[in-house]
Amino acid sequence: MLAAFFFQPYTAPYLGLVLNWAIIVSSVALLVAIASLVVIHIRFIVKGRKGFLYSIVLVVAFLVTLGLGWYSGLDDPAYLAGIRAILVPLENALMALVALVLMSAAVKIFRVRGWSILTVSFGLSALVFLFLNLGFLRFEGNPGMSQVVSMIQRLPIVGARGLLIGVALGALLMALRVLFGQEVERE
Amino acid sequence: MNNLDLLLLLAGLVLSLMVFSYLLGDTLLFGIAMYTLVGATAGFTVLVLVQKVIMPMVITPLTTFPKSSVWLELATLLAALLPIFMIFKKSSRVAGISLGFLGGVVTAALIVGVSRGTLVPQLLSIVDAFDPSRMTTAGLPNWSGIFEAFMMLAGVLAVLFAFHHRKTKQKQDSLAPSWLDGLTGFGQIFIGITFGAIFVGLFSTGLVALIAYVQYLVDFVRLW
Repeated sequence: MLAAFFFQPYTAPYLGLVLNWAIIVSSVALLVAIASLVVIHIRFIVKGRKGFLYSIVLVVAFLVTLGLGWYSGLDDPAYLAGIRAILVPLENALMALVALVLMSAAVKIFRVRGWSILTVSFGLSALVFLFLNLGFLRFEGNPGMSQVVSMIQRLPIVGARGLLIGVALGALLMALRVLFGQEVERE
Repeated sequence: MNNLDLLLLLAGLVLSLMVFSYLLGDTLLFGIAMYTLVGATAGFTVLVLVQKVIMPMVITPLTTFPKSSVWLELATLLAALLPIFMIFKKSSRVAGISLGFLGGVVTAALIVGVSRGTLVPQLLSIVDAFDPSRMTTAGLPNWSGIFEAFMMLAGVLAVLFAFHHRKTKQKQDSLAPSWLDGLTGFGQIFIGITFGAIFVGLFSTGLVALIAYVQYLVDFVRLW
């Protein structure tokens, strides 16, 4: 696969075929994972385990979604509208909840980790960017200040670049370890 | 608006109110909303996978045998069938064949993706910052460009060092020279700034969603 990626003009048909197989295998693996999830919850219901009410909700939601979709077809507008009416408000409400949870988490970080370089720079940066994002500060008539503000706005790129390179190096190392079987030995 | 639309709107409203019951603690209503989300998403995912992947890529080609290669289609079918053995035994060796294949493909894609998509562009952008054309304007030194380029290089090195130093310090528990601690602190400042900016981005998105939700509630009340 690695060779196929690097010599792409010559190996494109082979690469396409292998990637198609990978899509099929990962899809079937996902189906197996979902089947196992549903089977586990059916087992919880049968055994009457604590919290089995949630399992009933999950299994009913799963069967109703699957059954209706199978019956009406995946592209049926009424079915899609129904799915959207259930999933979109739930996801939006969760996203809205994130704002409130993040606020409490930001306060908690100072309580848990104390005052350190990291927490202070985090707090200051959050305040500054919150203020800048509000859009109240406009320096159209002052090119010097607008240059300073734009430089401040580019500061997170430095950290993000460092983090990205670090993550990429880590992922690359891990992939090479897996490829050479060293990760399995360590386990 | 017909009755079905109204019913769906009401269902969405009730479910989202159930999500907000989390503010009162991890309640039964929040659990029901979450399990509904998981169940509905799982059902929809199964449907999409079967109708958009399995049917067109595995089943349909089998019906056009004379036109396609028999061995190729059988190999595809075999690749699709092997993971099913995991249902009966999680550590099935037969299922392991196709999962091993998948692991190989994912690893190769990861190596290529990370090196070509992340590592090289990020490193090149640091090098590009030192482009002489950016460091001068009309023959004179562009001090802000020079400052930014050096800041970028120093920041990236310090961030990388902050992680490395933290790890080795945890491992060895040794007293490091103070300049190393200083460099780590410099890296931590950039990490803090980046996390702060990411936090604000996420917070703003959440806030927009909250405002949209309140608007949704107001619209629903107006509808009555």
